[in-house]
Amino acid sequence: MDPFKNRQWVVVLIIISVGLIFSFRLFYIQVINKDWSERASQITSKTENIQPPRGFIYDRNNQLLVGAETIYDIYIHPSIIKPKDSSAICKLFNLSNDNFQEIIKNASTGYNVPYKPSVFIESMTQKEHAKISPYLGQINAVFAKSKIDRGYPNSIAAHLLGYIRRIDENQFENTKAQGDFFYTKNDFIGITGLEKQYELLLRGERGNINYLKDYAGNKVETVNKKPPKPGMSLYTTLDTELQKLGEKLMANKIGSIVAIEPSSGEVLAMVSAPSYNPSSLTGRDFSDNFKILKKNDSLKPLINRPVYNDKYRPGSIFKLVQALIALEDGVILPETGFYCNKNIIGCHNHERPNNLTKAIKHSCNPYFFQVYKRLIMKDNSKNVFQTSREGLEIWEKKIKSFGFGNSLGIDLPEEKSGFIPDVDFYDKWYGKKRWAFSTIYSNSIGEGEIGVSPIQMANLASIIANRGYYYTPHVIKKTANENILKKFKIKHSTCVDKKHFEVVVKAMNEVVNQGTGRNAKIDSIEVCGKTGTVENKTFNDHSVFISFAPMDNPQIAIAVYVEYGTWGSKWAAPIASLMMESFIKGSLSEKSIEKANQISQAVILNPNTDFK
Amino acid sequence: MKYRNLSIWRNIDKPLLIMYLLLSVIGYFIMYSSTFKGLDIQSDFWTANYGKQLIWIITTLFLGFFILLLDGSFIKNTAYFTYGFVLLLLILVLLMPPIKGARSWFYFSGFSIQPSEFIKLTLSLSIAKLLSDVGSRFQEFRTKLKAFFMIIIPALLIAVQPDPGTMLVFACFIFVLYREGLSGNFLLIGLFTVLIAVVGIFLKASNSVFHLAGNAISGNIFFGLILILGFIFSFLIIRYFVLPRFRKQKIQRLIIITLLGLSISGGINYVYDSVFSERHRTRFQIMFGVKEDRKGAGYNIYQALSAVGSGEGFGKGYLKGTLSNDKYNHVPEQNTDFIFCVLAEEWGFLGSFLFIALYLSTLIRMILIAERQRSKFTRIYGYCVSAILFFHFMINIAMVIGLAPVIGIPLPFFSKGGSAILSFGLMVFILLRLDSERKVVLR
Repeated sequence: MDPFKNRQWVVVLIIISVGLIFSFRLFYIQVINKDWSERASQITSKTENIQPPRGFIYDRNNQLLVGAETIYDIYIHPSIIKPKDSSAICKLFNLSNDNFQEIIKNASTGYNVPYKPSVFIESMTQKEHAKISPYLGQINAVFAKSKIDRGYPNSIAAHLLGYIRRIDENQFENTKAQGDFFYTKNDFIGITGLEKQYELLLRGERGNINYLKDYAGNKVETVNKKPPKPGMSLYTTLDTELQKLGEKLMANKIGSIVAIEPSSGEVLAMVSAPSYNPSSLTGRDFSDNFKILKKNDSLKPLINRPVYNDKYRPGSIFKLVQALIALEDGVILPETGFYCNKNIIGCHNHERPNNLTKAIKHSCNPYFFQVYKRLIMKDNSKNVFQTSREGLEIWEKKIKSFGFGNSLGIDLPEEKSGFIPDVDFYDKWYGKKRWAFSTIYSNSIGEGEIGVSPIQMANLASIIANRGYYYTPHVIKKTANENILKKFKIKHSTCVDKKHFEVVVKAMNEVVNQGTGRNAKIDSIEVCGKTGTVENKTFNDHSVFISFAPMDNPQIAIAVYVEYGTWGSKWAAPIASLMMESFIKGSLSEKSIEKANQISQAVILNPNTDFK
Repeated sequence: MKYRNLSIWRNIDKPLLIMYLLLSVIGYFIMYSSTFKGLDIQSDFWTANYGKQLIWIITTLFLGFFILLLDGSFIKNTAYFTYGFVLLLLILVLLMPPIKGARSWFYFSGFSIQPSEFIKLTLSLSIAKLLSDVGSRFQEFRTKLKAFFMIIIPALLIAVQPDPGTMLVFACFIFVLYREGLSGNFLLIGLFTVLIAVVGIFLKASNSVFHLAGNAISGNIFFGLILILGFIFSFLIIRYFVLPRFRKQKIQRLIIITLLGLSISGGINYVYDSVFSERHRTRFQIMFGVKEDRKGAGYNIYQALSAVGSGEGFGKGYLKGTLSNDKYNHVPEQNTDFIFCVLAEEWGFLGSFLFIALYLSTLIRMILIAERQRSKFTRIYGYCVSAILFFHFMINIAMVIGLAPVIGIPLPFFSKGGSAILSFGLMVFILLRLDSERKVVLR
């Protein structure tokens, strides 16, 4: 008899107890505790955003202004680099051995792991890529992946279009705080211009994909996919040819051109000089170029002057407004005449302004001094301070009905309001009852404290072209969101009756035909315009010209402002004339082309330019 | 000849045969799933892992059939010879170039042989022969010593490779020896050792500090104090409650056990600080949950537990695993040591439980078979096979479900690897053959 026979049960018991322990443990980690199951899905499942392609921007003739450009990221995959590859890589990308080692190190540490490829050259242009692409095929460890960036086939209207850049910490937090959870920290966002204004339309809707990944993070199986909704296209009111011409004419100058279609308020061209190539603010060179444009250039090329610079004094073009308000108020008649008395305010020599037309034609300063005096000091029986006060109050309201002193509401984020001095302003400046007409008379000829942006000047031309009303100037023409367009269909009327405009329109026509603006004449088109010379104490005066054409049934209204342009008819008038000719006739005559080239080559810069 | 074959078939243990075949088939399908890369990926069947595995299984069945034709006495008589032969291979394999840091394989074109898998089989036969020889009695010290060396020599050779997992399996022979009359104290001492070791390592790994009368003392010294306190307490019990004539013996044992405990505890202190490398320490820390290092040393176990846990109650379905197969590859060694993950992930707790039940039933069936033998040789051999498989199962599953530190050891019938499939299969077939002679022979 085997004395140890019963020991079999000890062994069996041990086996069974191990089985039970394992079963309990498995029951715990598989059924009771869901932690491991959750960890498993963290390991395997990944949700990735799919970036929607940003909407394109077109001009009024469906010509592409902002499209897509294919650029290339170069990836390196450290774990599959063969010894012979490294020298080939160094040669191809012009790297020293140390550089190469550093690249490998970067691609293997931090967020990067050696068994997965990572970017080592970002955003290569198509041209650069074409140079290296034949050799890339020979090196397994290095490859290029294409992606889409903003592309500018026409390289125009940089200011108006604006630029995008990677969202910064502040913006990221702000958008989140406003309940907008669209962005990730890698996303781009419109910073200026249309890109900013219509960000919500352009950016589209994000899609996402949920997939199962393998150990290296590669996508193995798609579980769920929501395709992105591409950003909407913007159709703008811009005319590419006109914009191009404008930018050409304003080369080597500082200033603005704004051209508007009066019947609709559509902006045909908006030039801010100096300008820059919009594609310089894309891709890999963004930060370098941005630094140059922002900090290293005293001419502030990034500023969109037509809407942003509201410190411009309008000069003599303001006489048109004064004339219109005076006619409406009845303080003058078209036949009213004054002497050109140069005692208080200077003037040049011209025939006697014995009616309003002649005064406008010759831009007579003393005449408008008198007009303004009548506007401000209506009741001579009262105290001079009191009547000036009341007069200014009324005058200011009327001026503002022309779109001055407030933002017009153009669909560009940079627009500023301009400034029309009011009672409060002078009270603060001089003290209550310490100022009267004699203190503020320089307003009469558009000098003094008045600040007007070029878009407001163009709008003035548009108002006169329309004989009394305007539509808010705007850049968008067509979009899927109709609500946006609604506010641009509202007619804004001025305080001045239609009948008073005819006198001024005639006078403006005289200006171009026989007066100060003869430089703006166009063959076979009746042009109306008004010059302005804005006093500048440090350097040459500024050259201003507003205009529209043809006189009857106007197609284009334009304002040109050339800083340091000496006087109105010297630079601004011919520039406006060429723009209008090109737009109305569709092309320039031989003579005009030559003129355009000459203007384009002229350099008018103040070396000490700097403004806030 | 015809008659003999028939008699083998009649006397063969059908339940064990069926259990073995069932485990092999399930094992193959699980192994297939672990190498699954998706239906659309076509590769040449016979050169793929699952094709090779099938070749090995067919080879095993073929050789198993051949073994059934052998005479039981032949198997017994060649035991020492085969043992010696494989031992020679174990020495020769140390001259081979290392693969993954271990000199465990002979490489031939297309396949490799791992002699350490076969030594388990030949060692079982030799131990059975040694203990069942008419001349030897287990009670004699000489026999015990012989058995001890028979086991320890291959174990040491494997330790040199190094392959600590396989080496650990040799401890399973303690069950066999226990059944054959080794004092149960060894089992208890073994358990006691393991217990002290676990507590000791835990205290070291967790860097525990206790406060005693205002002094901070490290965990292990505290543990030592507790052991001494236990000793004093037991001593007092013996002193007052045990009859004087038993006292001396009991106190002797108590002293031995206490000294053993203290020395193990002290030894662990030393080994942990001086012998273990940081890597080992981290593994233990992870096992005890002191440290989480899911990207580094804890990666394997974290991924494995996630895979097991994700199976939940009823699993994801066959070939539908999302972690432990070659398609996703989240679990390292999922074809070999961590193959249980595949089963647990795809068949859930239900499948895992049935698997455990089937596996352990097979082992218990072997013990029952061993116990019904008149031949001592067959009985001892049966115990050896059961114990080896049990140890493999226990260590492997405990590792996968986070109850033991990560030790590389295959799961018999499941893990990829020809040598293991062949060796474990032959073990079972030899047991079946020997068992089929139970009515004829008395050895």
